[in-house]
Amino acid sequence: MELPPLSIEQLSKLAASNVFPSQLYGILSEYETDARLVAAGSGSPETGSADPELLSLFYATFFFAHLLTKQIPEARALTERMPASIRHQDPSLQNCLTLLRAIWQTEHAQVYQALRNLPWPESLQPLVRRYECFFQDQTLIAVSTSYEAIRLPTAAMYLGLDTAAAEQADPTIVQKFTDCGWKWDSETKLLHPVPIIVPSVESQPSNGIRDAMAMLGNRG
Amino acid sequence: MSITDDLMVASASLCKTTGLPNNKDYNHQIRNHITALRNLLSNKDLDSVARDDTLLNNFDPSQDSITYLFLLHLQIRAHREASGHDLPTDLLPSGKLWLKSEYFLRKFDPIQVRYAGHEWRQLVELVVQAAQASPRPFLAVALVRDAMLRLDPSCAVLTSTHLLLTHLSLCSKAYTCALPVLERQISHVPISTGRHFSPSLQILCAEHESSLNFLNEATGLSSKLLDRDYLRYFLYGGMIYLALKRWEKASHFFGTVISMPTVGSVSMIMVEAYKKWIMVGLLEKGKLCPPPNITAPHVVKSIQSIAKPYFNLAQAFESGDKNRLEAEVDAGQDVWRVDNNIGLVSQVLDEFARHSLMKTKKVFAALTVGELSAQTSLSNGKDDGITESKISSLIMSGAIDATLVHSQVCSNDSILRFTTASSTSPQCHEIEMQAQLQIQGRLLESLFGNMEEGNLRLGLSDEFIDNSIRGQPWAGAGAGEINPSLSGTADLEVEEDIMGDLA
Repeated sequence: MELPPLSIEQLSKLAASNVFPSQLYGILSEYETDARLVAAGSGSPETGSADPELLSLFYATFFFAHLLTKQIPEARALTERMPASIRHQDPSLQNCLTLLRAIWQTEHAQVYQALRNLPWPESLQPLVRRYECFFQDQTLIAVSTSYEAIRLPTAAMYLGLDTAAAEQADPTIVQKFTDCGWKWDSETKLLHPVPIIVPSVESQPSNGIRDAMAMLGNRG
Repeated sequence: MSITDDLMVASASLCKTTGLPNNKDYNHQIRNHITALRNLLSNKDLDSVARDDTLLNNFDPSQDSITYLFLLHLQIRAHREASGHDLPTDLLPSGKLWLKSEYFLRKFDPIQVRYAGHEWRQLVELVVQAAQASPRPFLAVALVRDAMLRLDPSCAVLTSTHLLLTHLSLCSKAYTCALPVLERQISHVPISTGRHFSPSLQILCAEHESSLNFLNEATGLSSKLLDRDYLRYFLYGGMIYLALKRWEKASHFFGTVISMPTVGSVSMIMVEAYKKWIMVGLLEKGKLCPPPNITAPHVVKSIQSIAKPYFNLAQAFESGDKNRLEAEVDAGQDVWRVDNNIGLVSQVLDEFARHSLMKTKKVFAALTVGELSAQTSLSNGKDDGITESKISSLIMSGAIDATLVHSQVCSNDSILRFTTASSTSPQCHEIEMQAQLQIQGRLLESLFGNMEEGNLRLGLSDEFIDNSIRGQPWAGAGAGEINPSLSGTADLEVEEDIMGDLA
């Protein structure tokens, strides 16, 4: 399928859309060649010559597509592929590097800080919010299987909630966890997570195994 | 009638025959078409054609692949001669010839180009050179990859284009771009086709069980590969997986390099791969992995002596002594820098924390973070908060099977409890197994097919046939002088008489 030309409008539309992360990643991968040509000032007639704003939005959007598909080493490679002229000067791409550093070092508080407090361009906001929710969900799942008991402020820190309020055992924060089925012990002030198992889309694993075994058996 | 008209008529007649069930006819026509094209284009008076920017618009690369390809080369040659440069401006990215080349490589008919292998490969190589000269190697990565997959979706035969792609992918840091090719199992290497595989006798347009029938040096779709080219492909592939932190795959690729059969001296590429193999072993398994069993003993001896600093580093890692490990890292700084392995070494240092935690697991079922801080090097015993944060990161990333239990008072009372079973549910485990089985099943399926083809090739190779002839006394007698001791016909008759008695 022929894609529309790379443009700020097209990128904004993609960032605001609800397409699956893998689809978003696939579409933006297709655009990377165009972006490289734009960076060299030799884009197509539609995209024109070097356009820092377009490039900044493209690379930032593509960066978030990597994060949403959990491709962290690839996201790092992308930051190295960004044209040097904009990577070192563009505020959005500098923000991306700050965010990547925090993710790489698993500094949860820094990740939320970068997502919430850094000045992201308006057209990128939907993706920033989308990644924040994604990161929060992933962390909630990881915490649920990594802790048997966890103090409320620590759990709040992982999920980017107000840690000062959590220190005071704020009921609204407690409720966020109890809504997930976690137990709250008000005496010990500890949360007892219930492991969250993400169901797979496959419904009949046993048949699948039989099929796979049959396939192997046929070659005997 | 102009030359363009002639070419259009010839190409159109070829297109009409594409659907013929008789491959021999199509094979014949396409070969005649190429001969006619070569004759036509060898004409010196083609300047006007070569400079006509609209000429290629008369042809559709998906239908008239051969004509398009030959004309494109004609135009490239003309631009080269006019500019005096191997890579004229029009051939660089976004130039007129670049766009035509790109269009062709995305649309060509994979059957037709089997007959114009040299020209196809030359175009791919030109595109790569142009992208590298621009210098934007990234622009050629996806193009070359897609062209390779279009030509042969199985990508099971190692060709010179494989090497180009992996090199390009590393240069442009576009690692994932090369994965669709890298993840296909290489089952054949193009052999020097002997007397039994004359390309002019083969029906290249036929449906072949193996792409080895047309992806070889004789058809021109691959240039001649040297021993070091095989090694380089697997080294580059391993490096791509390293960049993506896919240790198991990287290890497989480096292992292939190290265990490549060799008779004489050991290649420095093998040494390079061995150094990375050691590092990957530490990152993946936390230990110094011996070279693959099939590695020749003299190779093992040589590479281990050359890669001594890496060997020492791995031994220090295994000893569990952090001070010793840091001393080895410091001592080898120049080596790591020259080898471009500084990043790997720093990852190995980080990995040491997980490794020391895993060692603790062998002794303790559970312990407090305070005790753990004293036992391991996670925070150099300074801050239990840092230790806990590192432990939780390791658990949450799935690097270790354990859980943390907070107590109500302060952080150093947190308990780390090691678990043996994975935290995933039996159903998830089963689904994961099922996916793995399906992948392995598909791999086996492809391996069996390729083994049969390999067997056939081996059976028809010149070496095998010559050896078989030498091993068969009667055949030797027929040939004359192969084995003088068995050349007498009387001996053969005696043998047959003996068999006759049994009847």
